[in-house]
Amino acid sequence: MAPVSTSSVILRNIRKSFGAVEVIKGIDLTIEAGEFCVFVGPSGCGKSTLLRIISGLEDTTSGTIDIGGRDVTDAEPSARGIAMVFQSYALYPHLSVRDNIGFGLSLAKLPKDTIRQKVEAAAEALQLTPLLDRKPKALSGGQRQRVAIGRAIVRDPKVFLFDEPLSNLDAALRAQMRIELSDLHRKLGATMIYVTHDQVEAMTMADKIVVLNAGRIEQVGSPMDLYNAPVSPFVAGFIGSPKMNLYDGMAAGMGCKTYGIRPEHLRLTNENPRWTGTVRHVERLGADTVVYLNVPGLGEMVVRTDGNANPAIGASMGAVPIDGREFRYG
Amino acid sequence: MTHRMYAARQRNIGLVALALATLIFILPFLYIFLMAVKTKQEASLFLFNWPAEWQFWTNLVDVVETRNYMLLLAYFNSTVITVGAVTLLVIFGAMVGYVLQRRPSGWNRVIYGCILIGLMVPPAVVPTIWVLQGLGLFKTIYGMIFIQVAYGLAFTVLLYRSFIGTIPRDLDEAAIIDGARPWQIFFRVILPLLKPVTVTLIVVQSVAIFNDFTNPLYYLPGKENVTVQLTLFNFQSQFQSQYNLLFMNILLVTIPPLLVFVFFNRQIVAGMTAGAVKG
Repeated sequence: MAPVSTSSVILRNIRKSFGAVEVIKGIDLTIEAGEFCVFVGPSGCGKSTLLRIISGLEDTTSGTIDIGGRDVTDAEPSARGIAMVFQSYALYPHLSVRDNIGFGLSLAKLPKDTIRQKVEAAAEALQLTPLLDRKPKALSGGQRQRVAIGRAIVRDPKVFLFDEPLSNLDAALRAQMRIELSDLHRKLGATMIYVTHDQVEAMTMADKIVVLNAGRIEQVGSPMDLYNAPVSPFVAGFIGSPKMNLYDGMAAGMGCKTYGIRPEHLRLTNENPRWTGTVRHVERLGADTVVYLNVPGLGEMVVRTDGNANPAIGASMGAVPIDGREFRYG
Repeated sequence: MTHRMYAARQRNIGLVALALATLIFILPFLYIFLMAVKTKQEASLFLFNWPAEWQFWTNLVDVVETRNYMLLLAYFNSTVITVGAVTLLVIFGAMVGYVLQRRPSGWNRVIYGCILIGLMVPPAVVPTIWVLQGLGLFKTIYGMIFIQVAYGLAFTVLLYRSFIGTIPRDLDEAAIIDGARPWQIFFRVILPLLKPVTVTLIVVQSVAIFNDFTNPLYYLPGKENVTVQLTLFNFQSQFQSQYNLLFMNILLVTIPPLLVFVFFNRQIVAGMTAGAVKG
C-alpha cells in the first residue's frame, strides 16, 4: 500500500469544560508529521477527551487545533482529514465487513467501482479478504479490530486516532496487535495519535509519549527520555514496570520531598546495605525475580534481581541503589 | 413422587391447559364460522349447532356485493389508513425517540410530559372534530391517518427511545467520523438496527388501526369513507338483522389481522424482548 500524505497536529492552549468542571486545563502540544504519539495517563486524566477534541467529536471551550497547517478548530470531523478507531470498534452490526469498510466512501458518493477497489485493497493489506461478506458478529475480537482499522485506512486520513484500541483483546492478541500497529505505522507513514492507560503500549509503540495528569501535560518526550529522566514523581511512577519505589524524602532521610528508585536499579546485598528489610513476597518470572521487602520506617521496597535469586520469605535482606539512578524531587 | 407419576402429572396439566385454550380461543371462532354459513332463519336462533343447510358461498357473495361492493371499498380505505398511519408512526416515532435519547436538553422533560399526557389523557371527540374541521381534514382519509398517528405516537416513541438506549453511541460517532450527516446517521445506521422493534410496532399498530371501530365512526363519516369495521352496520338495523351475513362479514374482516399475527408471531416476541440481552 502506498504511503499516505501526512500532517502535523498542533494544539494551542486547549481548554475544555463540562459544566463547571474543567477537564482539560490548557494544553499546548505539537505532534510532528508521521509521528506515533501516545497519550498516556490514569483514568479521568482527560486523554480520551483530548483525542475527541482533536477528532472534532467534542468542541473546545477555548484554544485552537491545526491539522496539516490548517486551522480545523471549527471544522466538521469528516473535514479534518482524520480517521478514528474506537475502543469498542463501533462496527455497524447490520452491515457486512465490506460495507463497514466502505461506509464512509459510499457516503461521499464515490463510484461503486472505486469503492470496491479501495475496500479490497484495504482488506488485502489487513488479511480480511476472506471475511469481506461476513457480519461483524461472526468475527473474532482481533478480526473486528482489523475491520475497524480497515475502515480508518480506506478514508486515506492524514491523521489516525486510536482510542484504547487494544483494551478489549486478550494479552497474547494485544502483544501481536502492538506489532501489527507498529508495522502499519511504518508502512503508511501517517501521523498516529494513540490513547492508552497501559504504559507498556506507550513504551513499545510510541515515538513520543505525552503523559497527562488531571487535565494537564505532565511531560512530553521519547519513551527512553521519560524512563531515564522523568520530571516529576507522577511520571516516574507511571512509566516503568514494576513501578518505581517512591518515598517521602524526609522520612527516608534524603533531604528532598520525594525520593525515587526503580526496582531494576537496586541491588540486593548484605554488605553495607543502605536499607535492610525482611522478604515479604517473591515473584519468580524466569528471566528475573521481583522481591518485595518490608523496610522498617520506609515501607515496601520492590527489587528486581537476577532470575536465579530465590530469597526465603521472612529472611533479612539488604539493598543498595546503583549510582546515578536515584531520583530526588522537590 | 416417582418420576413416572411426575411425568403423568405434567402431561395432565398440559392437556387441561390445551383444553382451556381451545375453549377460550377456538370456540368463538368456530361459532362465528358456523353462524356465517347458516341460512338467515337458522342463524337467528343463535344456536351452537351444526348448520342444517350450508350457505358458505351464497353468504360470501351476498356480503361482498352488499351496497354496491361496499366491503371492497372498506378494505381499500382501511388498508390506506393502516399503511399510511403505521408508516408515519414508525418514521416519526423512531425520529423522536432518537432525538430524545441522544440529545439531552431542557426540553426533554417537557416532551416526556407531552408523551405521558398522550398516553394517559383520553381523547375528546367533539374538540377533535372542531380541530379537524378547522384544518379542513374532517371526513378525509388523511385526517383519519393523522388521528391514528397522534393516538399511537406516545407508545411508539417510548418503545423506540428505550431500545435506542441500547445502541452504543460509538456507532453514531463512527458514522460522524465517516462523514455522515445527522439524517444519514439516522436512516443508514440507527433505523436498520431498530428492525426488531419496528416489526413489533408494525404488527401491533396495524392490527389495532385496522380493527379500529370507534375512531372511524366518529371522525370519518360518509358512505365513501367506510372502513372494514363499519361495514358490520350493514346487516344490523332496528327492525331487521341478518345474523348469518353479519357473522360472514366478521369472518372476512378478521382474516387479515389473523394472517399478520400468524406470520409475524415469532418476530413480535423477539421484538418485545429485544434489547434485554445484548447480542
